[in-house]
Amino acid sequence: MTKTIVIDPVTRIEGHSKITIHLDDQGEVADAQFHVTQFRGFERIVQGRPVHEMPSIMARICGICPVSHLIASSKACDQILAVEPPPTGADLRRVMNLAQIVQSNALSFFHLSSPDLLFGFDADPAHRNIIGVAQANPQLARDGVGIRRFGQQIIEWLGGKRIHPSWIVPGGVDAPLLEETRDRILSTIPEAIAAIERALAWYKSSILQWADEAASFGDFRSAYMGLVDDDGNVDHYGGSLRVMDADGNLLADRIDPTTYTDYLGEAAEPWTYLKSTYWKALGYPDGVYRVGPLARVIVADQMGTPRADAELDEFRQRLGRVPSSSFHYHYARLIDALYAAERIEELLRGPDILAPRVRSFAGINSNEGIGVSEAPRGTLLHHYRVDSDGIVEWANLVIATGHNNLAMNRSVLQVAKRYVKSAQLTEPMLNRVEAVIRCYDPCLSCSTHALGAMALHVQLLAPSGAVLDELVR
Amino acid sequence: MTGHVVVVGYGNALRCDDGLGWHAAEGLADDPRMDGVEVLQRHQLAPELALDISAASLVVLIDASSRLRPGEISVERVEPAVNERPGGSHHLTPATLVALSRELYGRAADVFIVSCGVHSLEIGEHLSSVVDAALPKLVDTVADLVVSREKLGS
Repeated sequence: MTKTIVIDPVTRIEGHSKITIHLDDQGEVADAQFHVTQFRGFERIVQGRPVHEMPSIMARICGICPVSHLIASSKACDQILAVEPPPTGADLRRVMNLAQIVQSNALSFFHLSSPDLLFGFDADPAHRNIIGVAQANPQLARDGVGIRRFGQQIIEWLGGKRIHPSWIVPGGVDAPLLEETRDRILSTIPEAIAAIERALAWYKSSILQWADEAASFGDFRSAYMGLVDDDGNVDHYGGSLRVMDADGNLLADRIDPTTYTDYLGEAAEPWTYLKSTYWKALGYPDGVYRVGPLARVIVADQMGTPRADAELDEFRQRLGRVPSSSFHYHYARLIDALYAAERIEELLRGPDILAPRVRSFAGINSNEGIGVSEAPRGTLLHHYRVDSDGIVEWANLVIATGHNNLAMNRSVLQVAKRYVKSAQLTEPMLNRVEAVIRCYDPCLSCSTHALGAMALHVQLLAPSGAVLDELVR
Repeated sequence: MTGHVVVVGYGNALRCDDGLGWHAAEGLADDPRMDGVEVLQRHQLAPELALDISAASLVVLIDASSRLRPGEISVERVEPAVNERPGGSHHLTPATLVALSRELYGRAADVFIVSCGVHSLEIGEHLSSVVDAALPKLVDTVADLVVSREKLGS
């Protein structure tokens, strides 16, 4: 008799979802699905809006990574205006994007995942939380608070507010950088770098504890995709797309992001509001690839900053050129944050960073625009079509969590097969099924176009739909 | 009074009355009674606010409440949570935030939460008429709390 286990909702992620695990007649795991149960519909909401409103509307998609949407949206608008931001405007956009990478990676690593990492996946949930971390390892918790604050402050100082800053606009940024703001940011960088490096040291000293999870948390061969610059280094703002397979071979390189539809397909399933993006050459659903911090450190030749490059060398010595487990997103997230902090300093020390020319102005010069950036969770694409008056007729958003959807489903299945041993629901199984999803740090608010407290509700269902077992956390 | 005063209006500014903390914070930011007070707007209480709470002498949180009648205002002191399990996501309750501040930094400001009952949590950036009418009283309640505490501490 086949049965279904339902985990609803999944906790400590951004948004609402549930997981179902299907058992076969022998009680073995046959399939698993990660369902996104919320719908937001921004692609439809924006139809009929003037294009100049798009960045500020799109920033409302997410309270965690509004800057990413601001940037991708503004870049799409740049194309519709047919303008390039002045170099200083582009660099200032980069600074804010990197600040977002730091704060979001800190949120994911320290606030959402560190309780699992510190206490283990079998620990009592009553202690496996941020207060528990503060009691057991206060330095780690303080560093988490400090690093996130570092990123948030930069966004606030540049944009006037932390959550939905409107400083990034089509054509560049709204105002030049003040010298005192630059110096203020620069003064905070050494401590941020020190805190990230302390976290890296702790992580590396603990990594062997998680060998079992690393072997079963989305450990499979797949491609990876991310933006790289002309030198092949990580680029969170511009550059071109690179796709690498599980053996380190380049499936594609120097892809102009505006041609993404030639390479990427989007599939919809009736059981989830989250689209699955796939590599067209391999078809659906075989065209699995991963994006985000792990993908960035894999596809790039180097990071491009000294400390992050040293960490990347060690990462590759430990795990190989193309690690196959999604568990290593955690490690990569810290290297990504370190790079971001270093790169912010490089940009702010640039000779023209205080230049007054930061925005290009133009009217509607094109009916279509595509903007791309690396958001904290991976590659983000905004694609708009407008009429001759600049009114949005159509929009498509390809979000990091959508790129990772096939991989997340495969990861959940792998964990379920490893840890579900009977029709009986167990805490270790629940913990790990949730934790493997957290490796990807999915943002469902972004990907489905909710923030809120989430309980854990698991049901074991018979084919008839009758509840055989139930667990509420 | 040692340390500074921080006022935090929080909520979802896109869900009508849930964003009343943002509206109140806007009113307070330009209020002469708030001279020297740091006024913040936040979507939710994130862990990094623990740093602000540790460094301040007084923190006043402004939030929407579905437990109060629409437009009704209450003032409560926030005690640190001892046995409360933090929420599963990235936001914290006021009590947990105070506890986190004490755990991480060894101290926490006196924290009060000024709540106002909601009428509408529909999508929109405007307040319902009943909450909008209560907004001046809400602002005055926060200002009076800050001024009275400053007098006590001076």
